[in-house]
Amino acid sequence: MPDATKTEAIVREIHIDASPETVFGFFTEPDKLTRWLAEEATLDPRPGGINHQTHAGGPDNPGGPYFMRGEFVEVEPPSRVVFTWGFENPEVDIEPGASTVEVTLDAEDGGTRVRVVHSGLPESELAAHREGWTEMLGRLAPAVEGRSRGT
Amino acid sequence: MQNAFEAIAAPRRRDILRLVHTEELTAGAIAANFGDVSRPAISQHLRVLREAGLIRERRDGTRRLYSADTGGLDALRDYLGRFWDERLETLKTEAEREERSKRNA
Repeated sequence: MPDATKTEAIVREIHIDASPETVFGFFTEPDKLTRWLAEEATLDPRPGGINHQTHAGGPDNPGGPYFMRGEFVEVEPPSRVVFTWGFENPEVDIEPGASTVEVTLDAEDGGTRVRVVHSGLPESELAAHREGWTEMLGRLAPAVEGRSRGT
Repeated sequence: MQNAFEAIAAPRRRDILRLVHTEELTAGAIAANFGDVSRPAISQHLRVLREAGLIRERRDGTRRLYSADTGGLDALRDYLGRFWDERLETLKTEAEREERSKRNA
């Protein structure tokens, strides 16, 4: 029986007109990673090395800053890099080490096919969301009771 | 969403939601928590909650199990999906700029 709480990986692919060597550096060098993924980064690109990133909040997540605390798992220039992905912020439901980002770079048409697989989004998240769910019910209840009283 | 508001307007249905938000339960197990409510009344509440998208029904053999449908994971997945879409577009722009500057160097 499928586990209803398990989540499928998020998979994204994009073609980039740059060599795999060039693209690879954007995952392992702080001055390049901060050009697209994070505001600040401390990277030690070897298995077991730290991958720490600070992310600003955005329109979708105005809280910020968010402290990503990952670790490199595989580092194979210029074709593959894998790191764990989780947050120090307790309000983000992905704990350090909880999920994994797997990046594959393949030469394609003079450029690179980038494939990102973000997997292991934890089941434990459900618990945190449930907390929010109960709170939401608590907030809604007085409102709807006021509106529907006597109906 | 109108339905969801109406569905949780009844205190009894909120009680049911709290019961099934941590575990999947049969209608019988839910009813057992409410001595003063008939089984048909519980079934009616479950139907309202299901139609409002607040609970899920799953069949396991002859049993029907009910659990809260929080949508929480879907929301997180949607968020991360958009996150990667946006960031990878920026990666493309920046890596292509880097490549051009390397070639021109």
